[in-house]
Amino acid sequence: MENRAQVLLRKMVANIYLPHTAFIKRIEEETGDIKTFTLCFKEEELRNKFTFRPGQFVLVSVFNCGEAPFSISSSPEVAGELQLSIKKAGLLTGEIHRCKEGDEICMRGPYGNGFPLDSLYGRNILFVGGGIGLAPLRSLIQYVFAKRSDFGRITVLYGARTPEDIVFKEDLKNWGKENNADVLVTVDRGDTEWKGNTGPVTNLWEKIEISPLNTKTIICGPPVMIPYVVFDLLKMGFAEEDIISTLERNMKCGVGKCSHCTLGSKFTCIDGPVFTYNEMKELHFLL
Amino acid sequence: MHRVLTTCCFCACGCNLYLEVDDGKLVGVIPSREHPVSRGNLCIKGWNSFEFVLHKDRLRFPLIRKNGRLEKAQWSEALDLTAAKLTQIKDKYGPDALGILSSAKCTNEENYLLMKFARAVLKTNNVDHCARLCHSSSVIGLNHAFGSGAMTNSITELAGAELILVTGSNTTEQHPQIARFIFDALERGAKLIVIDPRRIQLSRFAHVYLQPRLGTDVIWLKGMMKIIFEEKLYDDSFIRMRTENFDAFSKDLENFDLEYVEKVCGIPLEGLRRAARLYASVKRAMIIYSMGITQHISGTDNVESIANLAMLTGHVEQEFTGVGPLRGQNNVQGACDMGALPGTLSGYQDVADNDVRKKFKNLWKTELPASPGLTSIEMFDGKRIHGMFIMGENPAMSHPDINKIRAVLKEMEFLVVSDIFLTETAEYADVVLPAASFAEKDGTFTSTERRIQRVRMAIPPVGSSRPDWQIVCELSKRMNYPMEYDSPAEIMEEIALLTPIYGGVFYNRLEDEWGLFWPCPDKEHPGTPFLHKGSFARGKGHFECIDYRPPAELPDSEYPFYLTTGRMYQHWLTGSMSMRIITLVREMPEGIVEINPADAKSLGVESGEPVRVISRRGTVKVKAHITDDVPKKSVFMPFHFKETPANILTSTAFDPRAKIPEFKVCAVRIEKVQ
Amino acid sequence: MEDRLILSKEHLKSFLRKISKRHELIAPVKNSSGDTLLEAIPSLDEVTLDLKSKPVMPAKNFFLPRSEVLFKYQRKGKQYSFDEVLDDTPRILFGLRSCDLWGILFLDMIFQENFKDRYYLNRRINTVLINIGCNEPMENCFCRSTKSGPFLTHGYDLQLTDLGDKFFVEIGRPRGRELVEEWNYFFSPATKKDREHQYEMILEAESRFHQIVDMNTAISRFMNDEIDERIWDELGNRCQNCGGCAYVCPTCYCFNIVDMPLSENAGERKRIHDSCTFTGFTRLAGGYNPRHEKKRRIRRRFYHKLYYENKKHRRPSCVGCGRCVEICFGRVDMINFIKMVCERGERSLRESSLRLGEILIEAGLLNREELKNALERQASTGESLGTQLIKEGLITREGVARALGYQLKIPENAGTGGSDGK
Repeated sequence: MENRAQVLLRKMVANIYLPHTAFIKRIEEETGDIKTFTLCFKEEELRNKFTFRPGQFVLVSVFNCGEAPFSISSSPEVAGELQLSIKKAGLLTGEIHRCKEGDEICMRGPYGNGFPLDSLYGRNILFVGGGIGLAPLRSLIQYVFAKRSDFGRITVLYGARTPEDIVFKEDLKNWGKENNADVLVTVDRGDTEWKGNTGPVTNLWEKIEISPLNTKTIICGPPVMIPYVVFDLLKMGFAEEDIISTLERNMKCGVGKCSHCTLGSKFTCIDGPVFTYNEMKELHFLL
Repeated sequence: MHRVLTTCCFCACGCNLYLEVDDGKLVGVIPSREHPVSRGNLCIKGWNSFEFVLHKDRLRFPLIRKNGRLEKAQWSEALDLTAAKLTQIKDKYGPDALGILSSAKCTNEENYLLMKFARAVLKTNNVDHCARLCHSSSVIGLNHAFGSGAMTNSITELAGAELILVTGSNTTEQHPQIARFIFDALERGAKLIVIDPRRIQLSRFAHVYLQPRLGTDVIWLKGMMKIIFEEKLYDDSFIRMRTENFDAFSKDLENFDLEYVEKVCGIPLEGLRRAARLYASVKRAMIIYSMGITQHISGTDNVESIANLAMLTGHVEQEFTGVGPLRGQNNVQGACDMGALPGTLSGYQDVADNDVRKKFKNLWKTELPASPGLTSIEMFDGKRIHGMFIMGENPAMSHPDINKIRAVLKEMEFLVVSDIFLTETAEYADVVLPAASFAEKDGTFTSTERRIQRVRMAIPPVGSSRPDWQIVCELSKRMNYPMEYDSPAEIMEEIALLTPIYGGVFYNRLEDEWGLFWPCPDKEHPGTPFLHKGSFARGKGHFECIDYRPPAELPDSEYPFYLTTGRMYQHWLTGSMSMRIITLVREMPEGIVEINPADAKSLGVESGEPVRVISRRGTVKVKAHITDDVPKKSVFMPFHFKETPANILTSTAFDPRAKIPEFKVCAVRIEKVQ
Repeated sequence: MEDRLILSKEHLKSFLRKISKRHELIAPVKNSSGDTLLEAIPSLDEVTLDLKSKPVMPAKNFFLPRSEVLFKYQRKGKQYSFDEVLDDTPRILFGLRSCDLWGILFLDMIFQENFKDRYYLNRRINTVLINIGCNEPMENCFCRSTKSGPFLTHGYDLQLTDLGDKFFVEIGRPRGRELVEEWNYFFSPATKKDREHQYEMILEAESRFHQIVDMNTAISRFMNDEIDERIWDELGNRCQNCGGCAYVCPTCYCFNIVDMPLSENAGERKRIHDSCTFTGFTRLAGGYNPRHEKKRRIRRRFYHKLYYENKKHRRPSCVGCGRCVEICFGRVDMINFIKMVCERGERSLRESSLRLGEILIEAGLLNREELKNALERQASTGESLGTQLIKEGLITREGVARALGYQLKIPENAGTGGSDGK
């Protein structure tokens, strides 16, 4: 016989560790080792109900290979599906890359705080992306474009190692024209066909117009890129809370329990992964 | 949920732990708090020892090679075939064409039965096990000097020592519980001397730390003794009353030139002088050593030098005082005790001794071969052995120069392996028999301190696997020598009858007081925590004059680096168990080669980058780990990892007396992978 | 029914027998080897209850087991199916030490806040907690310093006090009241004398501690940033990475989630205890590890237990049970740590150098001579120091990025949040 507490628990508390099956609707190859997967939850109710904020992530698993977090790279405005851009690196991602359209994988989420949308309305936004770091930014970029009139000047700077490493090539080509935005791409090393910019993404400052006082900057990219960008932004006069980035830690549960992703008293999975620069400074020495 | 008290299956500390069983599955481990060695804690391996038992890769049924592939078979089929093939080879080439590898991972009872199987059924003394690779030089060296090859004292006595000299043992990593007693001794004000070519965790706490070149142990030991001799710090009355051959030995010391210490070992003489004075000045001093001493072509010399040092200062024959060879595996002591050695029957009784053989013959009712058999190294010479039974060992990973070993295994006319996983060795087998793990059987293990302890069955054998003792009985029956035992307890009764040092060991006595220390000659005897009380087991301790012999292979212009091999804290031996434990794999997922920062700089290698390590035997591509724990021009590699097996590189040179290979020194060259 | 009652000792077994009919009874049992373990008790007549000593493992394992199956999965063709595995067994945990019960109350907060953990809560709501106050603290106990014993003022369902020939019983939460009301004929009201007697026992127990630990000073050292950073080096040298301190701690709740394949197409997703002192705990798939050095992991452990939890939940996550003290291989335990911190309050070294050149020197990437020369040349080129060093090939772009990140206080590995997976 169940007592009241048991009934309440069964009804009210969902099992946070239980994933849901999702099928792969579409696979697009971005680069040699990055693919973008479009996924739909199998249960119709869940599919319709599922919403997320740009900057959030889901935990994806292929059974027998474990579970890992991936940030959502599509806009929340597209209902019923989401996209993940996944780089092939280990056992799990290798297994996901082997999947074909129509195959099933498992997913739970969305988790994480996401980008601070409220603080972005009415402001200019500067996106600085590097490598696969454009994936979480893309979710927000598309969201912002969908509500274009709510925002000021939009600038997207993107850097990749070589022209082959550029992700979302079509998007980068079209975003600027279609949405009245400045989109600039640079590569560390060009090839014979490359006619665009070369050098680090910080080389692009002089090609754009930025007003530090009314601009929010959102940065995602490899760890080697971030300090240079932040350094320059501070020099230009950006306020610390106007510089926004993400943190990556080893994550297991995604729900603030298992403690793998902690930084000080914060959990990257629920208090993050998005932090402003002044929040990050507080966390720097905390391990 | 219920719990079953048993002995840990990893190192030879002999921790006792409770396996937690829920619904027939192992779900956890609890250390025993009252156990004198465990004291409520385990190392990372012990805490996770339950996980590999039910791993998906466990062998669940016998396999027989058909058309070149190992295929599922029935037990009867596999056993019949094995018995027939062994008989066939015995008839064709004679019994000495058969070789048996017993296992330091299996119980005493299983080792005893397999050695009985070799001698009484197959009629060969070709039975050995991996003690050959770790402490055969201790068994011979200490036996020669003291009359017994085991650790002279119990582990807990370490806490009461005034001085501990640790050499060739990375105690915190390989015998964590023993290191815990060393920390206890330090808390009580004991002094610590560490002498090791690799800077180990203990060296940070050492009052004297010296870093000699690899393979120069005889020199610094002799130097230390010379200093003690010159400064008249030796124990004159002990030497006169308890030892022999001192006159010759002291002359040998007189002729030794202390200049060699700095020249050959590369350590400051002043440091050695401090160590010598410290060691000689206290009453209760223990020497702890392990494979850094034994795995050399001069392994037995090194051990005898240590024995000389202890006798010179009278540091044996007492509580808290003695020489401790730390055995590497859960039951390597027991496997030696049980006579899984080519020259001795159980209890180190010489197989060549007619009276001994007569005693065994009376009980076993069959003639026994008299001439000592081949060692585990000699069995792989590719000439003499045509059929092998390997129980729970993995020579295709653990032996030196494994390319050669693997070629021999491949060519073997008939190979049968019993193991819990399909090891690298089992992959070459004609028949693979699925064995039960430590959690699925009863028996006893003997830890490094000679403590005989119970292993208890927590769950039934996985799949159709069987404990090795049952496998041996089944085979024996099929070869017309029925072995009928209801339980391991019954086997132990037979061991007690034939083995004086185990004479008083019965299962009911092992239930209380955490086992028994051998020698325990009869039912009333309480066991012996420290050996040689009052006098040495052999009568008088023997001083041996030792001359230095350099390692067989030294660096040269083509192979300019020393390579030394060993184990890491997180893994165990050839990794067949520890690489199937998630937490351990996560801690140490892959092999490394430790390189000194100066060498790394000149090679242009950064930490984590792959390098090629090349010796005269082969090449291994492995990640560089840059650390000044290894001296310049020396590199260290663990041998656990099948993807980066260090033993492709090691040399087959061995100690002429103990036949122990020189795993600790060979020459390699390092190349950056572009 | 009154809140304070008396249970005579001869009725204890009868009472336990009654309540174990509908619950699995778990109690501390001393086995033939002398170890005291919390055991499920099938028959009260076959065991020796040990209500005096602290079990080897804390009660935590009954709520967050050492390893538990979260769900089983199967794949047929390309399709998945899974079964949740939930433990609904009603249990009574009897004879808990106060510290262990307090540990569970701590875990309650963790597993209820934000996302609720159904596995934990399912066990928790099915469990009745009965503790017994400690008249005689054991050798390494220091619960008085953590205010989690030797007797509790709240949080229990029932609390017992051994008054010699009888137990003084206090009713706490409703579950306890329900039990006592159901089996009321075992109990009689406590007299004023009994109450006084119990109060004396508490006072006496509090005076009997062997270990006095100055938790408040330690915590204030953390708050004022007065921890001598060298302590971490010392403790890091001593730690042997066994993970034992986390496994035996009543409040450590770190866990790992892993797949245990049973075959090609089936397996179990499990959660197993983990420890923040393990190297692999924070290592990312690419190999980067924010807590690569042992001292950083030790630092995390103590910061977390004494500072972060105190900040977040207003109590340190140490209940003074003393198990880590008893078992540590190298004395990297709570008592030793607090003693070190209290004896050696010093300004931490954190703010020491925030100039790029100094950071590079400290990290061993540059020597003073090289810096001096580079600064001279930089004065003439007008480049930033970092750019100057990269251009001259003295340091890589990654090296400068790391130093710059340090200077700007950007946590390591910022930027790729959640998108890398493994």
